[in-house]
Amino acid sequence: MDTISFSIFGQLTARNLRSHSAGTATVSLWLVVTPLLLLAVYGFVFGVIFKARVPSDLEIPFVAWLALALWPWLAFSDGALRGAQAIKQHAVLVAKVPVPRVLLTASNQSAAFLLQMAGYAVVLVALLGLGVDFSLRSLPYLLLILFSLYVFSLGLALLLSAVQVFVRDLEQLLPTLFMLWFFLTPILYVPEMLPERGSVLLYLNPMTWWVGEIRAALFYDKWLPDLTFLGLAAIALLTLGIGKKVFDRLSPHFEDFL
Amino acid sequence: MSDPLLRLSAVGKTYPPTVHSSERLRAFWQILKSGRSEGGARVLDSIDFEVRRGESLAIVGANGAGKSTLLKVITGVLAPSSGEIERQGSQAALLELGAGFDPEYSGLENLRMNAAFLGLGRREVDEKLDDILSFADIGESIHEPIKHYSSGMVVRLGFAVVAAVTPDLLITDEVLAVGDESFQKKCIRWIEAYLEQGGTLLMVSHNMYQVQKLCRHALWLEGGRARKLGDVFDVTQAYLAWHERRDADAVRQSTGHATSQTYGVHALAIDAAGEGEPRLALGEELVVRMALRSPDERPPVALLGLVRADGTPVYGVASDHDEVALQAGQDGLYHLVLRFPGLPLLPGGYVVRGHAMDPEGLRVHDTAELTFTVTGRSRELGLVRLPHHWET
Repeated sequence: MDTISFSIFGQLTARNLRSHSAGTATVSLWLVVTPLLLLAVYGFVFGVIFKARVPSDLEIPFVAWLALALWPWLAFSDGALRGAQAIKQHAVLVAKVPVPRVLLTASNQSAAFLLQMAGYAVVLVALLGLGVDFSLRSLPYLLLILFSLYVFSLGLALLLSAVQVFVRDLEQLLPTLFMLWFFLTPILYVPEMLPERGSVLLYLNPMTWWVGEIRAALFYDKWLPDLTFLGLAAIALLTLGIGKKVFDRLSPHFEDFL
Repeated sequence: MSDPLLRLSAVGKTYPPTVHSSERLRAFWQILKSGRSEGGARVLDSIDFEVRRGESLAIVGANGAGKSTLLKVITGVLAPSSGEIERQGSQAALLELGAGFDPEYSGLENLRMNAAFLGLGRREVDEKLDDILSFADIGESIHEPIKHYSSGMVVRLGFAVVAAVTPDLLITDEVLAVGDESFQKKCIRWIEAYLEQGGTLLMVSHNMYQVQKLCRHALWLEGGRARKLGDVFDVTQAYLAWHERRDADAVRQSTGHATSQTYGVHALAIDAAGEGEPRLALGEELVVRMALRSPDERPPVALLGLVRADGTPVYGVASDHDEVALQAGQDGLYHLVLRFPGLPLLPGGYVVRGHAMDPEGLRVHDTAELTFTVTGRSRELGLVRLPHHWET
């Protein structure tokens, strides 16, 4: 990426970040309070009302088990969904300004992803403060996993934003599809809770592996990448490759169909 | 040096049908498979031209001729449906002033964003910030959100950013039509300086004066096709003449043709070299030949008028004004020749109207029309060149 594209990407991303927090009193307060509130709500609903269980070999509150996977999921799905809307949202730019369109999608996706990551950091610190035991030496590996998740999300965002220009119904459909995907990923539950046949399906879902790897890193002290991570990285890069290829193919025709 | 900055070969564009979702889906698959979609409305057809470094080309044409689409295709906002476009060097396009502005953000933030769109890095913007701000001349409003700006301020800021960029090829679409008089002049001065320094310009404008002032070549688009490409004066004059004639069509429909029972115009001609519509250079002699007929062997009065192609009268004179009596020739027709030496008409399309009047010179019985074009390189304004001299 040349410096101009980088500058455009940076400014668009900064704008996106700001537009999320527009209208609130202070950005920092908002960044800290919202994730904590969300954490409290989930902790109450699943820990107190449903009395959900964590895997038997772990001694942690359920809310920690949940939170560790929930925010990466939010980053992934928010990134993909907001990225998918980018071309339509920036229709004026697409029509009038010869700007590299890939930057529009990438900045939307990156801003959404980064925002959830900031929330993730707040939540992790809060959980540490509550006395939840994490493997701190796994943090670098966690960042690597999250980066691969970012790449996966970016690939999907590129693919979806390009296709959505042509298939308008996708806009209505995507949030529902992602919600379904959310429930098919072991975030709110432990994979072992599913019957045998269901769990096969579960492991065809790449997000199951990402979530599993994140939990393995922080709860089970997995601090070095192995074959599982290579698999995830391969999926991420493949998705990005396909997404970029489809996007590049379709993007010269966006203005005709917007 | 002589490498073209831009070359279009056989560029065509069709807008695909997009109304029904089935059409969109079909186009989606076609583009994914082959990179092209089929069908749709053709708006550009086999356009060929190139723009070399230091050249200035204007694109003129009526509304809907495909000018804006052509610019969009050139800048890459739209993909051509056929043909090839080669680009060299840096390109800055202003398809609409302020198009990249977000009304929620301040002028300064939008300035930075737009500069980046036009290819200016953050550090370069910082270096040129003072120049940009003084060019835009909007004072402290630069810190206000754009939504509080008047349209004139948006335009000023938009052009100020472009003025800081100085690309190899500048592409503008009708952007100088907005903004007040003094700002337009400022922009034109800037473009002139840019051209003097070797800049290359491709512009769309309806203002022929601007076009002739800024460009050396012009391309006339009509119905998506290149109708004429060449010297700016030739092309704009032909274009204007065509326009004026089109406007005058309705007027012309109403002129009737007399029967042999009354005074009539038998023939009307202009002396000119070559086939087709007569073409005269500014300052040449215009010679009009006319033959009238009379039903009763009394000589009719000839009235001859010159009007601009849009119907604006320029000059009219009748034979009885000058006390000239027509003489019947051997064929029973009244032949006459009218000469205008040193024709002072400015370049453009004109019409000669020959009328046959009764011998009393009271009523027009018949009218014939003949169009002709005056050519020449002149930026003078109006219809005729008045004798004048300057004293300083």
